[in-house]
Amino acid sequence: MHTFAYVRPTTVAEAVAILDAGGRDARVLAGGTDLVIRLRDGSATPTTVIDLKRIADLRPGVREEGGRLTISATTVMTDVAADPLVRRHFPALAEAAAVVGSVQIRNRATLGGNVCNASPAADTATPLLVFDATVVAEGPGGTRRIAIDDFFVRSGVTTLQRGELVTAIELPIPAVATGSAHVRRTRRRGHDLASVTLSVRVDALGVTRFAYGSVGPRPVLAVDDTGVLADPAVPAEARSAILERMFADASPSPRSMRASPAYRLAMLRVLGARALRSAIEQLAAGSD
Amino acid sequence: MSATIIGTSPNRVGGIGRVTGSQQYVADLRLADVLEARLVTLDCARARIISIDASAALALPGVRLVMTAADLPQPVPRFGPQLEDRPVIAVGETKYHGDPVAIVAAETKDAADAAAALVRVEYEELPAVFTLAAALDPAAPLVQDPALRPGDRLASTNVLREHPIGWGDVDAAVADVVVEHTYTFPMVTHFAIEPHAYIAAPDGDGIAVWSTIQHPNWLQKVIAKVLGMPLAKVRVFAPDPGGGFGGKQHAKYEPLVALAAIRAGRPVRLVLSLEETFQAVRRASCEVRVRTGVNRDGALVFEDIAADYLIGAYADIADRVVGKGSYPAAGPYTVPNVRILARSVLSHTVPSTAFRGFGNPQVNWAVESNLDEAALAIGMDRLEIRLRNIAHRGDAFIPFDTPADGEWSQTVTRAAELIGWGSPLPPGRGRGIALGIKSGPTTGLSYSTVRLLGDGSVIVFAGTSDMGQGARTVFAQIAAQELGAPLDWVTVVMGDTAIVPYDQQTSASRSTVLMGNSVLMACRSIQAQLRTMAARLHAVDEALVGVDRGVVHLPDRDLSVIDVLKPGLGRLGGELTGNGEVRKDADPSHPLSGAPAFFEFNCTAIEAEVDRETGDVTIVRHVTVSDVGRALNPLQVRTQDEGAAIQGLGHTLMEHYIFDEVGRIRNLGAIDYRIPTSMDLPLDLVSETIENADGPGPYGSKGMSEGALLCVAAAVGAAVREAIRVPIRDLPLTPERVWRALQERETA
Repeated sequence: MHTFAYVRPTTVAEAVAILDAGGRDARVLAGGTDLVIRLRDGSATPTTVIDLKRIADLRPGVREEGGRLTISATTVMTDVAADPLVRRHFPALAEAAAVVGSVQIRNRATLGGNVCNASPAADTATPLLVFDATVVAEGPGGTRRIAIDDFFVRSGVTTLQRGELVTAIELPIPAVATGSAHVRRTRRRGHDLASVTLSVRVDALGVTRFAYGSVGPRPVLAVDDTGVLADPAVPAEARSAILERMFADASPSPRSMRASPAYRLAMLRVLGARALRSAIEQLAAGSD
Repeated sequence: MSATIIGTSPNRVGGIGRVTGSQQYVADLRLADVLEARLVTLDCARARIISIDASAALALPGVRLVMTAADLPQPVPRFGPQLEDRPVIAVGETKYHGDPVAIVAAETKDAADAAAALVRVEYEELPAVFTLAAALDPAAPLVQDPALRPGDRLASTNVLREHPIGWGDVDAAVADVVVEHTYTFPMVTHFAIEPHAYIAAPDGDGIAVWSTIQHPNWLQKVIAKVLGMPLAKVRVFAPDPGGGFGGKQHAKYEPLVALAAIRAGRPVRLVLSLEETFQAVRRASCEVRVRTGVNRDGALVFEDIAADYLIGAYADIADRVVGKGSYPAAGPYTVPNVRILARSVLSHTVPSTAFRGFGNPQVNWAVESNLDEAALAIGMDRLEIRLRNIAHRGDAFIPFDTPADGEWSQTVTRAAELIGWGSPLPPGRGRGIALGIKSGPTTGLSYSTVRLLGDGSVIVFAGTSDMGQGARTVFAQIAAQELGAPLDWVTVVMGDTAIVPYDQQTSASRSTVLMGNSVLMACRSIQAQLRTMAARLHAVDEALVGVDRGVVHLPDRDLSVIDVLKPGLGRLGGELTGNGEVRKDADPSHPLSGAPAFFEFNCTAIEAEVDRETGDVTIVRHVTVSDVGRALNPLQVRTQDEGAAIQGLGHTLMEHYIFDEVGRIRNLGAIDYRIPTSMDLPLDLVSETIENADGPGPYGSKGMSEGALLCVAAAVGAAVREAIRVPIRDLPLTPERVWRALQERETA
């Protein structure tokens, strides 16, 4: 294995300073489920690895304050999926966290790591998009709050700047009743990378938010505020035109061996319809 | 001790070590002073090696050896179980993606890995063939140097050999309906959980080799020949493998590691990664054209089968797989006219080798699926057409071969009953039923030694490899049964050619029958000695003494073995020793050089549900029933069949190698080559046996462990076809493929 310096700072400021000094040659280690594999296979060759697990201010956890949920970046998928606040307010995020990798991976992989890795297939990216999450980053210039839709660029690339470290994800607790769902397409039922990921959220005001991944360089958010999609009484033909518009930004790669573009695009529509039905049912059940 | 232990399921011998992690696999062994090795390969399928510069690699701290073909005796030694066509390392040209050009040995694995990346290989990529169509193109580059095939009329083609077999006259036969289709079977790998691993250590004037090998005695011969040593100077240790499935039968990198160890003067150890294993072992892909002739009453008139197997760049055992696997391709049916032509086609791909089912699953998928097409064409039930044509006990269904050695219709009827054949189906579901047959071993030689020690405990020496199939347990059960020892007083010693007598191989589901009979013979020899002893001690005529299941019967009373053994051995103690030898010689007049010792027969029945929007296939119920003669250990038998059934679901539903346009494997490793997980199992899996004690093995047993894999694809394919009303003739039945079939029908 490539040799590198391993540092274990105890404060965010210290971590930011090391990260800033190292620039592209420094890599952050939280759960390590992506980084360690890349260190082993030689596709990542940092000179410094910064382990976040000793930073007191980055302890894992979920807390509610000021009408929003703040999830520490080091919170692992198992805990995100099990958290009662996440499950109550953001069921699609709990569902997504529960299908990342395998049990062993979910016990290590963190929400911050999943977001920063910026895989187009990242399971938690689509629920964070439909729930309008904010990424909180600490950097040499202080704290910056980045809307999740402005965060992803392409696989492995985000709008984080030199020296910036993601410390938390914030989710505004919906002011009105909502229903949400997360679905994915894989080649088998056992753990697998998804060839389509999709989350949907409908609310009592008739707004429908779709986010989908693995069908282009980054996950895509599409919003329908006409009220048509959220209304199960609207005839199928009227809905299908809007659905087509929602999925217009999908551009799956023809080079992938996991699924052909034609299949991904077709499944995007199948999954979209299924998830929308679940979300509407959830919304209706919640309003009873 | 008169209670029988045969037919019971005691805890597996060695099972606790396996499940607690205390069992030492080859990759767990640490020899003092060992060097860690890494293979150097090129990122292409086929290349001419221009030069290799190891200087930068050798300059790294800890690197002790970089060995290439130039460092070996010339000509570079070649080996192979069928043809000695495989050089111990690439000579002049690499022939497949992963063919090693050098081996690096260093003090640490990290140093070996780093050094391997620094070996500079100048090479010119050459055109490669990695599909049947490309390999069979008359203008295709030749995979094998024609000079290696003197006097072979096919030497100027990529067809290594043709295997024609048949009877009757297909061309003259007239059938009411003829159904013809072409089917394909994907290239898949064994995916044993234990990595393939090799260690070699200079040992005085000889060498010791540790390997995850299934056939230690065969490996001993290969190493002895490559190194020019007598057999007695080559000691092969073969710790119980963690899954073999045929992929560990024959030598792969052991000769290379042995030569590296001799050159380095130190032990050298090579443990393959999963990615490297994909580049070391695989099953042949296959394209099969089947013409089935059937009369309106359901009688099969002819089967005309042409099967092209895409084997790799070296023969390994692949051509035998083609010949033996295609031989019973017409199935367990009485068909008056049969013509089979199988060809092994060389390509610039990983050498294919033995894999559970040994060439049968490929043709079974095609021929059983086509039988369903024939049934559909004449409007007959798919179970009925099978029962209408099935061979009954004693029928010479292959005219010049062993007649049907079981009443196979019982197996089929039981499977049909367990799947609820003919009962109403919920919407979106379908059922399928398929029959599988495989020829057992055609030759064999298994020696064993059994020692009955002075206290009545027993040591069995048997050269079988227990790779998870449970051979240790079965041999211990036989010895316990025959000599009256409790099972935990029996030790089974395997896997050391310096101690354990010769065994030809662990393959073709043979060990219970061949080695089992050998152990039984050794035990019976000890029983004869006990009879003599008892007659002497009690002054009775030996003819009046009987020994049965550990009980010595005298005319007036019964004694336990120990009551005879202790006084019989006397004050000095000692032991009784028995030897077994089971030999099945080759028969040059037989098309397979020998009639099979038995047939493995299985019937698989499936109920599947298809999601028409996504193409997902859910196996709702999977029934597998095998005719095993007699299950000596019913739990092991049932779970062997479960394992085979699930492994069959892999190539049926998801597994396949994917190549890029220049012949590199794109899905090396676990991320994009998917095997079934516990989440992908059938919702309900039923494994049963038919037992008539009519097999040639101990107590009427037959060999088993491959049968339940043979016809999984055809049964699942049939169920999917019934669910969606569209035939799919290519495997695997991935969701996308099923979805596409539905789309194409809708647009058609």
